[in-house]
Amino acid sequence: MFLENFFDINAIIYTYPLLLDGFLLTVKLVAVIVPAGIALGTILALIYALGGWFTKAGFILYVDTFRSLPPLVLLVFIFYGLPFLGIQLGSFASAVLALVLNGSSYYAEIVRAGIVAIPKGQWDAGRATGLTRFQTIVYIVLPQAVRNVVGPLLGNTLELTKATSICSVVALPEFLRTAQIAQSHVYNPTPLVFVALVYLILLWPLARLVSRLERGIATH
Amino acid sequence: MTSAPVLQISDLRKSFGSEEVLKGVNLTVQRGEVVVLLGSSGSGKSTFLRCINRLEEPTSGSITLNGNSVTASNANLRTLRKQIGMVFQSFNLYPHLTALKNITLALRLSLGQTRQAAEEQAKHMLAQVGLAEKAHAHPSELSGGQQQRVAIARALALEPQVMLFDEPTSALDPELVGSVLEVIRLLRQRHMTMVIVTHELGFAREAADRIIMMDKGEIVEEGPPEQLFTAPKHPRTREFLKHFTGR
Amino acid sequence: MEQIQYYYFNLPIMRDALPTMLHGLGLTVLMALTTVAMGVGAGLLLAILRSYPSRWIRWPIICFVDVFRSLPQLVIIILIYFALPYAGIEFSPFWSTVLGLSLVLAAFAQESFWAGITATPRGQWEAATATGLSHTATVLFVVLPPAIKTSIPSLTNRIIAVTKGTALGSAVAVQELLAHAQSIQSVVANPSPLTLGALLYMAIFAPMVAFSRWLEWRYRWSR
Ligand SMILES: Nc1ncnc2c1ncn2[C@@H]1O[C@H](COP(=O)(O)OP(=O)(O)OP(=O)(O)O)[C@@H](O)[C@H]1O
Ligand SMILES: [Mg+2]
Repeated sequence: MFLENFFDINAIIYTYPLLLDGFLLTVKLVAVIVPAGIALGTILALIYALGGWFTKAGFILYVDTFRSLPPLVLLVFIFYGLPFLGIQLGSFASAVLALVLNGSSYYAEIVRAGIVAIPKGQWDAGRATGLTRFQTIVYIVLPQAVRNVVGPLLGNTLELTKATSICSVVALPEFLRTAQIAQSHVYNPTPLVFVALVYLILLWPLARLVSRLERGIATH
Repeated sequence: MTSAPVLQISDLRKSFGSEEVLKGVNLTVQRGEVVVLLGSSGSGKSTFLRCINRLEEPTSGSITLNGNSVTASNANLRTLRKQIGMVFQSFNLYPHLTALKNITLALRLSLGQTRQAAEEQAKHMLAQVGLAEKAHAHPSELSGGQQQRVAIARALALEPQVMLFDEPTSALDPELVGSVLEVIRLLRQRHMTMVIVTHELGFAREAADRIIMMDKGEIVEEGPPEQLFTAPKHPRTREFLKHFTGR
Repeated sequence: MEQIQYYYFNLPIMRDALPTMLHGLGLTVLMALTTVAMGVGAGLLLAILRSYPSRWIRWPIICFVDVFRSLPQLVIIILIYFALPYAGIEFSPFWSTVLGLSLVLAAFAQESFWAGITATPRGQWEAATATGLSHTATVLFVVLPPAIKTSIPSLTNRIIAVTKGTALGSAVAVQELLAHAQSIQSVVANPSPLTLGALLYMAIFAPMVAFSRWLEWRYRWSR
């Protein structure tokens, strides 16, 4: 009875092609958003570290604005709001834009914190041997900073990956959305349960790793 | 000793906020000369050294290196800094790079050397400081003395005109101090121009051509080591020597 | 420029929308507060339980935490709202959202508190045991107070991240802030209510983000 309702194998077989498409779209979203978020976040953190107080204030404004906005609000604004200006992005591009803005602000803050925690002597050593500020940060400060914040970076990657499921709200047929469509086809929650299980199986190892790394830093 | 001044510093002033840390320091260092800077904590020694390669921006005054202005607004700082080697109290090695890479980084980025040339040069420098076999060790795998010798090799690799040492042995366990001082002695034999801040008075007396006594941002006394150690004129010098030899 | 003002900062439309939106804001705040109370409370309880030296307590807690850290918030909410009724368990949209978010926050809060507890020096435990305190008394009166203090920065960040998820309630038809902003937007054919919604969200969360920045800043300088 329970299995029939919550894990009806026929429901999966019947909706499998749809779910696979959804899964692949989620993978594609993650594959675009995570690298773009890390790249933009790192660039912003570099700009913070190299810039004057005005730049630093701009950085904090950017980061704190996008940290204060729920990603779904941002997505709805971009998807439903921007077309009024003639900017019609479509659901995939809207999703990418919203989550890159959101994700980059967290990545930027993490990398920034990593950079400012590197002792000043490292800058001194680089500058004293004739490196430019840019060379010093790229070759000396950033590699150490990133190594120290691998845990939080992975943690944010996990959060960003999970956040792609909000794109179902703007009818982007990603994994969760296809599960909802499938459910309405088979009148049975099995597709939802199946999708949840796939998320769990794929993200559990990452969650384990993240909490281990965070623990490592806490007891460091 | 020839009389070509490598370093000429005149009326150097530096303030942090309202606190004047350097109050008009004048110093001329001849080629091949070893100048040791003494002074109690907070007297401005580190600030003075850091102003010479403008890691710290002087408030006023002028500095020239081989006749080229370091303090001019259009000074080519990168070029000048390559000619001024600096060794820090806390080594400041790059912990994510091997000893070899610590040295090659500036050779490649500042001097534009090829990877091969840079590595050859770096190996040569490591051999000079007695660490040829540690080329591929990371700083965390080296003792403090070894780390400081790598840091010296890193500065020397750029073939500087003058070397600045800021308490190079203060962070070391007593038994490791000797190996670092040995390297500095070697440099002296090769007529490297050096400005050294240290509290190793025995070494200062033996290695310095001239000793400068600094107090509250000013030079209060200077002279050859024998004179300064045996007949100090200024009361602060006497106090300082008493404090450090009385231990 | 004029167009931007007309479409995104249309004051008359915003003025008309404001009362309804404030209603939605009230519900959003209510959801957030309920989530924080339930999530942080449960997280604290779990962290305390986890300190007992029994694998029968420890393993289920670790599993719970891992599950709710791994699953997307919206997936959890949708499961509760659309799937649980098949098992005869029904929650209103409001409670589906609050319950889903509370489970997630409980998992994260447990992690924060647990990190604080494990950071307590061994000597503290030993001193307490040596003076005859029971395990429960040791945890409650010796270990927990400093542990809670240590966990505040990370807990604050988690609370912000999870309570922002109240916007997901709109996906299961909770009439909270975002839902109102969207429905008014489609009625008036002008996205200014979305701008207003975004501003209202920022009015709640920007101070919290600023607070967490201040906490981290203070922590850095107190070392
Ligand atoms: N970045 C800075 N900002 C503000 N004040 C500074 C800074 N660096 C140095 N000072 C101040 O300048 C004075 C001189 O410092 P400096 O480090 O040059 O002394 P020092 O002679 O090298 O002392 P020590 O023997 O302890 O190394 C001190 O009072 C110090 O507090
Ligand atoms: Mg000093």
